[in-house]
Amino acid sequence: MEIIKEKWGTAINTLTIGATKEEGGTRTSKVTVGGETTLPFLHFEGEIPYKPVIAMEVLDLIPQEWPKTLEEHFKDVWHDPALWAKKCVEEYKAELICLKLLSAHPDEGNTGAKEAKETVRKVLDKVGVPLIILGPGVHDKDNEVLAAASEETRGEKCLIGDALQDNYKTLVASALADGHSIITESPIDINIAKQVNILVSEMGIPLERLVIYPTTGGLGYGIEYAYSIMERSRLAAFMGDKTLACPILCIIGQETWRAKESKSENPLWGAVEERGPIWEASTAGAFLQAGADILVMRHPKAAEITRKTIQDLMKKNN
Amino acid sequence: MKQFKVTFYPEGREVVINSNQTLLDAASQAGIYINSICAGEGVCGKCKLIVREGKVFTPPTHLLTRLELQRSYVLACQTMLNSDVEVELPLETRLEEVQILTEGEKKRKFLDLFALVEKVESQEKLEKEFIYKLNPLVKKFYLEIPKPSLDDNLSYLQRIYREIKKREDYPILQTGLFNLKKLPELLNDANWNVTVTLGERNGTVELVQIETGNTTLKNFGVAIDIGTTTVAATLLDLNTARVIDTKANYNTQVSFGEDVISRIIYAEESEGLKKLNQAVVDNINGLITSLALENNVKLNDINIVMCAGNTTMSHLLIGLTPTSIRKEPYVPVVNFLPTLRASEIGIKINPRGLLANLPSVSSYVGGDITAGVLASGMNKDSDISILIDIGTNGEVVLGNNEWLVGCSCSAGPAFEGGGVKCGMRASRGAIQEVRINLKENQIQYKTIGDVKPRGICGSGLIDLMAEMLKEGIINRAGKINLELNQPRIRKTDQGVEFVIIFDKETEINQDIIITEDDIMNLIRSKAAMYVGTDFLLKKIGLSFNEIKNFYIAGGFGNYLNIKNSILIGLLPDISLDIFKFIGNSSLTGAKIALLSQEALEEAHKISQKLTNFELSIEANFMNEYTSALFLPHTDLRLFPNVSKKLNWSV
Repeated sequence: MEIIKEKWGTAINTLTIGATKEEGGTRTSKVTVGGETTLPFLHFEGEIPYKPVIAMEVLDLIPQEWPKTLEEHFKDVWHDPALWAKKCVEEYKAELICLKLLSAHPDEGNTGAKEAKETVRKVLDKVGVPLIILGPGVHDKDNEVLAAASEETRGEKCLIGDALQDNYKTLVASALADGHSIITESPIDINIAKQVNILVSEMGIPLERLVIYPTTGGLGYGIEYAYSIMERSRLAAFMGDKTLACPILCIIGQETWRAKESKSENPLWGAVEERGPIWEASTAGAFLQAGADILVMRHPKAAEITRKTIQDLMKKNN
Repeated sequence: MKQFKVTFYPEGREVVINSNQTLLDAASQAGIYINSICAGEGVCGKCKLIVREGKVFTPPTHLLTRLELQRSYVLACQTMLNSDVEVELPLETRLEEVQILTEGEKKRKFLDLFALVEKVESQEKLEKEFIYKLNPLVKKFYLEIPKPSLDDNLSYLQRIYREIKKREDYPILQTGLFNLKKLPELLNDANWNVTVTLGERNGTVELVQIETGNTTLKNFGVAIDIGTTTVAATLLDLNTARVIDTKANYNTQVSFGEDVISRIIYAEESEGLKKLNQAVVDNINGLITSLALENNVKLNDINIVMCAGNTTMSHLLIGLTPTSIRKEPYVPVVNFLPTLRASEIGIKINPRGLLANLPSVSSYVGGDITAGVLASGMNKDSDISILIDIGTNGEVVLGNNEWLVGCSCSAGPAFEGGGVKCGMRASRGAIQEVRINLKENQIQYKTIGDVKPRGICGSGLIDLMAEMLKEGIINRAGKINLELNQPRIRKTDQGVEFVIIFDKETEINQDIIITEDDIMNLIRSKAAMYVGTDFLLKKIGLSFNEIKNFYIAGGFGNYLNIKNSILIGLLPDISLDIFKFIGNSSLTGAKIALLSQEALEEAHKISQKLTNFELSIEANFMNEYTSALFLPHTDLRLFPNVSKKLNWSV
């Protein structure tokens, strides 16, 4: 029986995060994502030159409400983001570190540019993998600390975010000056995803340096909606829409560990220490199938399961 | 309860209100019409008054500027009294008489009304094919009736019928008791030479009036467009189809709510329906009286009124409860209003004169749209045309002589000046044209009536947005660029704003500005119109390029810049010469129907043929809508010429 194959005209942009010494950075490894010419894992139909990657999340403060299953893995290092990052890379095989500068949030300590620079510097010095740097999610503070972090990491080709429809200029200007790529965020809306990318690229940053963050939910919390938005934006890209032909990033850990199913003690639901990581890995699995290129994860066990899933899915199926 | 006296200046009118009533109630009682878009909810900030004397209670509001507060401005709808007060209506609060429409009508030379709109000037031959027969609903015949004799002994009434039937073969003729009683004396006095007025009423012909002698030259009718915001009326000579005069005034229902939904809600309050009905009847009577007086026509010689309005307006006109229009499954009381006696609803013309209405299609596609289709002539054309009526309740019709589809898209009042801080309707003092040259810090503008500006109307707002986009003052999401370092761009507690005209140059001694919120409202409006149009085409499986005529109707006055309308994405990016701006198509349709029974019949066919699609239940609507919430659109491939011109990569 002959398999009917779809031929698309467009490929997803290829993006490399991280720069080695030769390239003007200090990274010992880099990560390349994107380049797909077909929907996820349809190897018989097109090219999937790079596998999806796992970034592990590191905060610049001690998390207050993380459940025990997370705490037991990180409490020895979470007072120091550099040690935390090191543990993620060395013990849990993280390919990237996603450093969230949460302490700059007005409710979390309201730290400023100086602290952001110090934190970023410490992490850079401690690990050799490329960095994703996120702000606290408050416009003014994002602009303050991300600009500082961008300057501190000049030449390292980091991925910095998020650029939003009503707050993108400072971030884009910094990234342009310092050679970084950008995460563009939209509220589970394909049109707004496109609109942010247009606005951002109109400032002169090429579409090839953008990563779409479509705001994803956890399993059981509207995941279907996020899934279909991702799928639609991929299809639009393959049908020729260049503004959507960007790799996609999903923040898996943060969303999963908000769900009560991942952390509530409930004998009927099974042991919580297993349930949480499985919840996170299942969420990751779904988003891999929707087209995610970069997964930001928390639990080492979930990351391990997901790494295995990716390996299996990357086996040629023609 | 305590009562207080309110004196309104400059009118000097006085009313007494209770302590639990607001200044807005007082104005309504005094018959002073105040801009109030939100119908007293305290959210639009349009009903500003200045308290000259007296004590009032008024809650704090961010809708008044510091300067206004210093000058004792209050919001009428939020203010109650603690003593007798004297208040003044500032200029911007007044509803002014619309002048533009009348001027526009004159310019467009509607004298030869039977030629369809815009085809008059250029294509003389084509127009003839579209002509409807001059055959108004009300006709007069002068009869010289043979006196009865022993040989010819038919009754008085039969003798009249016999003479009428010699002129025109009406199968059924009726006469009411009122006229019957008058017959013997009248016929004898007139020596059997009389003029009969015949009215076509729902399939039968009624002997409406009998007069002594020959009065056939005096047969007039009035065509009326009852808009949600504006009421316009044209006086016509029914014998010659000559347009005598056109006048317009505001629909004073506005003071009970700016859009149809808030009026339907108001109609549900006690006395609400009665007040709304009375308001529009008063408007119509005011227009008819002034048309008659100024043109030396007797009210008694006006024999018919033909109205076109949206479904809600039609309901309110004849006093029907409109509640069902806004509630699922959105069914109106009637679509086809029967022809009534105008006096039954209090319209002051010949007491036995008629009132007819253009038929509606559904709750949200009304007689104004049937009239619009009739006026555009698209129902007679084998080519496919689109008609869009840009108004608070925007409507779109697509089709040709074989089929018609339509939908309504709630565009909001932004293009009529609502929901825009310095927005106003297309009346005197409104900025209607804008050109910006930021480099030289120049803003050129033109106001209606060439007077000092008071605000900005729809066509001015379209120009303004397009110019701001071209000059890089706003980005494609409508956000103002704060980095321009321009004195015209300011950041305030209420967001970012752009000064169009500084206070010194204005009539109101305040800066005329546009805010980011205003721009968002306009973007929402233009998106709704675009999506409605695009939706209908997709539903039928057509593209914009297959459209041969694109008619644009609406109360923009005389000016609408098509290029700029395309640039902001209100209109599609297609060949400029297929666009035809036809002004107030509802009024034109009413005129045509007034002059020709065949045209009215055609209007009924249009309303039966027109298939209505409900936009709000479309699964993909929100997606398409968000996609259009960008300038000109998220998908630039839909706007190739604009992109090329502004060097945007597609």
